[in-house]
Amino acid sequence: MNQLFLQTVWLIPCYPLIGAVLSALWFPGITRLTGPRPAGYVNAILTLIAFLHGILALSATWNQPPLQILIPWLKVAGLELTIPLEISSVTIGVTVLVTGLNLIAQIFAIGYMEMDWGWARFYSMLGIFEAGMCGLALCNSLFFSYMILEVLTLGTYLLIGLWFNQSLVITGARDAFLTKRVGDLILLMGVVALLPLAGTWNFTELATWAKTATIDPTVATLLSLALIAGPMGKCAQFPLHLWLDEAMEGPMPGTILRNTVVVSTGAWVLIKLQPIIALSPVGVAAIIFVGAVTAVGASLIAIAQIDTKRSLSYSVSAYMGLVFIAVGTEQTETALTLLFTYAFAMSLLVMSVGNIIWNNITQDLTQLGGLWSRRPISGMAFVVGAVALVAVPPFGCFWSMLKMCEHLWNDGNWLLLVVLVVNGLTAFSLTREFSLIFGGKSRTAMTARSPELHWPFILPMVILMGFTLHVPLMLIQWQLLPAWANINIVVAGLLIASTAIGFGSGVFVYLNDNFAKPVRLGSQAIQDFFAYDLYTAQLYRVSIVFVVDVVSKTIFWIDRFLVDGLVNFVGLAAVFSGQSLKYNVSGQTQFYALTILVGVAGLILLLTLPILSRLSLIVSG
Amino acid sequence: MHLQLQYFLLLGAALFCIGIYGLITSRNAVRVLMSIELLLNAVNINLMAFSNFLDPVTIKGQVFTVFVVTVAAAEAAVGLAIVLTIYRNRDTVDMEEFNLLKW
Repeated sequence: MNQLFLQTVWLIPCYPLIGAVLSALWFPGITRLTGPRPAGYVNAILTLIAFLHGILALSATWNQPPLQILIPWLKVAGLELTIPLEISSVTIGVTVLVTGLNLIAQIFAIGYMEMDWGWARFYSMLGIFEAGMCGLALCNSLFFSYMILEVLTLGTYLLIGLWFNQSLVITGARDAFLTKRVGDLILLMGVVALLPLAGTWNFTELATWAKTATIDPTVATLLSLALIAGPMGKCAQFPLHLWLDEAMEGPMPGTILRNTVVVSTGAWVLIKLQPIIALSPVGVAAIIFVGAVTAVGASLIAIAQIDTKRSLSYSVSAYMGLVFIAVGTEQTETALTLLFTYAFAMSLLVMSVGNIIWNNITQDLTQLGGLWSRRPISGMAFVVGAVALVAVPPFGCFWSMLKMCEHLWNDGNWLLLVVLVVNGLTAFSLTREFSLIFGGKSRTAMTARSPELHWPFILPMVILMGFTLHVPLMLIQWQLLPAWANINIVVAGLLIASTAIGFGSGVFVYLNDNFAKPVRLGSQAIQDFFAYDLYTAQLYRVSIVFVVDVVSKTIFWIDRFLVDGLVNFVGLAAVFSGQSLKYNVSGQTQFYALTILVGVAGLILLLTLPILSRLSLIVSG
Repeated sequence: MHLQLQYFLLLGAALFCIGIYGLITSRNAVRVLMSIELLLNAVNINLMAFSNFLDPVTIKGQVFTVFVVTVAAAEAAVGLAIVLTIYRNRDTVDMEEFNLLKW
């Protein structure tokens, strides 16, 4: 029976896709009377089916060798495009994670999207996301992964733009689409360039090829840089990170998905491409550089935000930076583990914050406060999410980060410092958020009355909290935890120390009434620099946007005046000549007679020219 | 001086040119008709000359001339009738006033 589920594992992406299509039935323009709620229920049920299918298939594939399913797609001269599906415990595990988180987010959305008429569109988008991500997990081909990434980019655009009557939503969705699109397009260059080199897009075959490949170093460098660019945009890495900040304008349940799994799609592709990127030392250096700069920069920015959602979104960039570092230092398995542990923690954090925002209305950290006594469940969820995100034993991310740090320690790599700093800064940032939301006393009327919410908010959050708490047990079950004897005490100590310093200083600054709030650094300029996200928006505006704008205006001008003008000139010349030559028709009969005469004379002259010239020769002798 | 064909032809051509000049420059419609008569007469001179010098036996040129004179008379009659008709309508025979059919 389970074998049947294993064989039909390709159905998992199809369920949410069916849900996405069915949702359309409840568009307000189609179902005019009874409201859009069934769209949500149908999608949640289909997600549940996908989740259960995934679980059953996972149990069947456990400790089994990976299975390949080939689905023919297109066969043209010289190119055979077959969709290869890899059915292994890892890929099915990812679909289970994706569908599970989707199920939780969709139940959360049943509560959150109360008093909203856009359920059909919203759930339809969630369905497309879920289908895309499951498809990406199963798909074992770079080409089809790229296709799915593009579909997800479009999905992001539509999902962020759900409430399109808000101007910031429009600009946010625009930036999210264009920024990710740029990365994807450069990735496409890499994808296309890879085929003549490797002759395949199958990830497994690519890895085999990369082992023995000898290609020109320049080619390898360009190739790996192009392959990095796609995930860079997807994972909101510097300098393509602004979109994630602006994507916080979208609906909260979508944010849960985006911050945890959608940004991970880029990392997933990056992990699979690691053998090819490793062909070029420059590519590896670039990936580490980008990851390190993003990790440190984004965690600093996260501390300086006053918007709850944005503060979390920069932590997302920072953790994706850590994944980049892990991939750069050839720890693909650690990167996968980190993605796994991170996804639970971050979605719990976002969900907790969503619970707070829903009935306190404001997202401004300076307006919140003193909610711990009245919002214990949300507060607990935030705490669990926070400790699971930073390195606190025995929670999830500690183990993945420990693994990463041990590896870096053994290499004597300076990146260890980066990881420690990011961990400390994130701990500080989360403590700051926690203290400003839950700690202290109610600062404004926004939090004066704030009851805990009803079941669609609390139930998924508590279930997720349970999962998050069980992550270490799962890791034990899958033998991903190191044996006690093998733990490097120094590294573990350093990690815990960095967390403790982060938490401690956060508590000291923000839960301490003697410390003046709002906190002022010595220099306002530095504070603003981070609060305004290193002025990235302005940076885009004066660099890329400016250049593209000037170039397009110039081209428009050339088209409008030179190209069009040339053609219009021909027409105008014809009109002008017609208008002016008509005056030859003078209405004077005598003038016509003269014209005839001149014509005849001219013709005669022309015909007799040879004779005349001979005549003149004779005359002149 | 012996009379030669060329002289007649040159005279005809000169007369023709004078006629053309008159045809194009005259402002009076009647003078235009008169210039046309000059043209026809120039043609007649040519015909007579060719008939005399090149075809003295069958003198077809002279027959042509008779026809031309006849037709010229008829044409002048019609022409004057037209001029009269225009004059009745427009009270003038100035050629420069007859430019209604322009562009």
